[in-house]
Amino acid sequence: MALLETKRLTKSFGALTAVNGVSLAVEAGSLHSIIGPNGAGKTTLFNLLTGTFPPTSGQILFDQNDITGTPASRVAHLGLARSYQRTTVFPAFSLFDNVWVAAFATGKSWKGLLHKKTSDYAEVTGRARQALQDVGLEQKSTQLARQLSHGEQRQLELAIALAAAPRVLLLDEPAAGLSPEETRRMVALVRALKGRYTMVLIEHKMDIIMSVSDRISVMHFGSLIAEGTPAEIQKNADVRRAYLGGVAA
Amino acid sequence: MKKPFLLILISIFLLPLVVRPAIASEIWIFAIFGLGANLLLGYTGLLSFGQSTFFGSAAYVAGWMMKVHGINAFLALVAGIGVGALSAAAVGYLCVQRSGLYFIMLTFALNQLFYFTAYQWTSVTGGEDGMPGVPRPALAGIDFKDPLIYYAFVSLLFLLALFLMKRITESPLGKILQAIRENEVRAEAVGYNVPRFKLLAFVVGGAFSGLAGVLYAMLFGIVPLEAISFVFSGNVVFATLIGGSGSLYGPVIGSFVFIWLSESMSTVWARWPLLLGVAFVLVVMFLRGGLVEAWTRFWTWRSSKQRD
Repeated sequence: MALLETKRLTKSFGALTAVNGVSLAVEAGSLHSIIGPNGAGKTTLFNLLTGTFPPTSGQILFDQNDITGTPASRVAHLGLARSYQRTTVFPAFSLFDNVWVAAFATGKSWKGLLHKKTSDYAEVTGRARQALQDVGLEQKSTQLARQLSHGEQRQLELAIALAAAPRVLLLDEPAAGLSPEETRRMVALVRALKGRYTMVLIEHKMDIIMSVSDRISVMHFGSLIAEGTPAEIQKNADVRRAYLGGVAA
Repeated sequence: MKKPFLLILISIFLLPLVVRPAIASEIWIFAIFGLGANLLLGYTGLLSFGQSTFFGSAAYVAGWMMKVHGINAFLALVAGIGVGALSAAAVGYLCVQRSGLYFIMLTFALNQLFYFTAYQWTSVTGGEDGMPGVPRPALAGIDFKDPLIYYAFVSLLFLLALFLMKRITESPLGKILQAIRENEVRAEAVGYNVPRFKLLAFVVGGAFSGLAGVLYAMLFGIVPLEAISFVFSGNVVFATLIGGSGSLYGPVIGSFVFIWLSESMSTVWARWPLLLGVAFVLVVMFLRGGLVEAWTRFWTWRSSKQRD
């Protein structure tokens, strides 16, 4: 059953149609990758799914409910969490505070918002610690985010998304700018999370995509040109053309 | 963090021995004003150039009610806090729709709107002459006419305000506001309605400004037009930056330095604001965390020296 679905989703910025009639179905518990050349509209699709801006037309269904046009701060509460291609953390916060503030947002109750101490929320604190542990940063929880290496910041980026205990995890190029060694670690991390979350992954590195995905959708100039298992996609002629520089037929 | 609190307590007791009680009271009143402004500036990262809107409105309304309707001090404080919060809700609602430079200009423009309303509405506010004749009504049989008793009253309310602000900054709200300061996009994405939280910061900060406004009116027995002017809005930002924005005690130290300097220097040297200008440039260039940072730097330097 599809947990996250789009129906003819379109987004235009003036004359440019960044996302063009995309219909996508992400099965519950699967890892669904979206690939495509630069400027194919992958990140715009993520921005639509998470309510950063509303689509021009089309629908987004989450767990059979129409969530089209729901603003970003509400989408998070529905159980969709995302990470960013460009690291988007809270630089002056400790790692623990980074994940704590994300965990609190989706906590059961905001009672005591103005007067309780942050340490009074045991459930939130537990979830925050778990998120740091999941990405392997628990040893550095008191360090400031801005003091981390780029690789560690990418791990924190992921931990902030995990802290919300989402149902669907949208990862926008988690391995962007990582060294081969760091990339290996990130792939292992994504693989470890597979099964625990329904995941949508944008990535450029083909070896990652082919080794972790259950299904792959290929975007080109805003449209979906192919969808299938990794093996099917590798054989697809349209996909090869899109990647090797030709215009898709 | 017991040390700063102890220092403040000592200062409260020693201050009236050094300066006139009126100036001593003004320092703590301005500190309350600064606590509210710092919630926006230091914690949420919003530079509001319109804090005197809430300070002045509260001073006028509560002052008028004491003067004309003879309400007691307690009701006046409640009215002032209410007016401060309400005016901040109205102004904040408009301002949080925009960010960056537009946000700053909106706070400033709305401040001017309130200023010129007060300037024109002479039958109530007295316009340029200010609104004189604000009494200092008694509360529960305590007569505040004695400047030292009033000073004790102000000090007590300041400590209460400080305690409340400490709780707020250590609460989830404090964390969320700082998260907005650090990264608005991410704060929104993890599930916080950023404009609404900014508005909340305005309202809470406005309530503190309102309290300060009433105490100010009662202290001097007059609401000068300045109390709602952009100069006053600038002063509180200035004092907060000098003391150290983003830390709880920053605006307290800033207000201490600012009021003391302005009161003691203005009689000696008419061009004293020059000094403030120099201090401001130094802080912005070398000491972004203000005097609080200077203090912590000094102590880490000393402890490293002792270790050698």
